[in-house]
This record gives sequence, structure tokens and C-alpha cells, in this order.
Amino acid sequence: MGGTTDQMRVKTMERTTLTPEKDDSSGLAGAIDRILDKGLVINADITIDVSGVELLGIKIRAALASFETAAKYGLEFPSGTNLETAAWKEALIEKEECPQCGKRVDREELLNIACPWCGWESAKAKKRKEMKVGAKVEVQ
Amino acid sequence: MVILRPEETGLKQLLDRILDKGVVVDTSVRIDLGSVDFLGAKARIILASFKTAEKTGLDFPEGTNLNTSAWQDLKTKQPCPVCGIESKREELKKEGCLWCGWNYRPDES
Repeated sequence: MGGTTDQMRVKTMERTTLTPEKDDSSGLAGAIDRILDKGLVINADITIDVSGVELLGIKIRAALASFETAAKYGLEFPSGTNLETAAWKEALIEKEECPQCGKRVDREELLNIACPWCGWESAKAKKRKEMKVGAKVEVQ
Repeated sequence: MVILRPEETGLKQLLDRILDKGVVVDTSVRIDLGSVDFLGAKARIILASFKTAEKTGLDFPEGTNLNTSAWQDLKTKQPCPVCGIESKREELKKEGCLWCGWNYRPDES
């Protein structure tokens, strides 16, 4: 019994120290996310013939993707779609998933500065920071 | 702190693998009626991710703009072996991964 309360206490302590973590959505939602993000091509040629005479031919060229991916790869949108809205411009900015918190962030900012959500820093940003600190020490 | 490529299991990885490899379904069905050829159907279906489709030269729907930078990225980018984030192949070779610090010739940097 004592063990379980200890475990519970540890758990609540863990909860109080807020560390951003990527929620591992490895289920269906994660899979669908991934497919729409990568984009899926479905091409099919189907023919049906009756006693040797070709009756029907179907040619399908389909691409399945999320709005963001579709915009990036220049897929055509249905006529009447207004592609001048702010959301489309936002979709065209190159983004990358933060390795720590999993939020999708402007790639350049994530690489050169840090994740604006959880503060994760890339190797490049860390190196640059170290160089800056080194320069300051030299000046002193 | 070392960030490793998330260990992916289950459905997500399975789908990833399938779509990266591509799937071809080639079927033909023939139905005879009293030894007379009656009905036939042929279907050739391909399923692949954009990257695989681009590499293998599959057709895209009409009106697709194949000159956007995302298409270029498909050709030139390569995932880092440690963190999995994609960078330009040349850059990855020369300077290592700018994201996690992986370098395949650590002595030279």
C-alpha cells in the first residue's frame, strides 16, 4: 500500500513540473496525420469488356493530401477557392515539427533560434550561442 | 539532451512503410458463360506517397504544378539518421545535422 501512495506522489510531482512532451499519437489519428502530411497518390486504370468488346474504361489520377501539403505541392483546388487568404500564405511557409513538443513551427525560426513554444534549441542554435558567450568572455 | 528519432510502432509505421514502398494491384477477372467469353474486367491500381510517386514518375492529376519548391525538396532532402529531420543531402554530408548535431565525420569539425 505504501508503495502505491509513493508512486502516486511521484506521479503528481511529475505532473507539477511542466515539461512539454510530444504526445505519441501512434494510433489511427497519427497514421491519418502522416498520410495527409506526406500525400497519397492513387492511380488506377480499369477496363471492362463484354464478350471481347471493350465497353467501359476508367482512368483515375487521384492525389490525397492535407490542405497544407496540397498547397505546397501545387495541387489544383476546386474553382472558386480563394487562394489569397492569410491561411494559404501561412500554409506555404516551410514548417518543421519540434522534436521536443511536436508543435509545427516555422522551420527557419526553429533551426536558428529556438522553439517558441517549449524553448528547444537545435545544434546550430546552441553552437551559435556558445560562440557568442565565448566572444563576450574574450572582450572582458 | 539527445533527441532521437521517435520510435514508431504499429499502424503509423506500417502505413509509412507501405506508402514509401508503393503498392501495385494488378488484377484481371474473366467470366465465361456456357464456355463463351462473357465479361472481363482489368484493373491496374497504384498507391504511393508523393515522394515515391515523384521518384517513380507516376502521373499526377491534371493541373498539378510540378515546379513548386516542395518538389525540389523531395529530390534533394534526406532524413538525418539520428533525429529524422530532413536536410539538404549535401549540407548533411558536409556539416552534419544542424538540428541534432549528428556528424558522420566528427573528427573533422
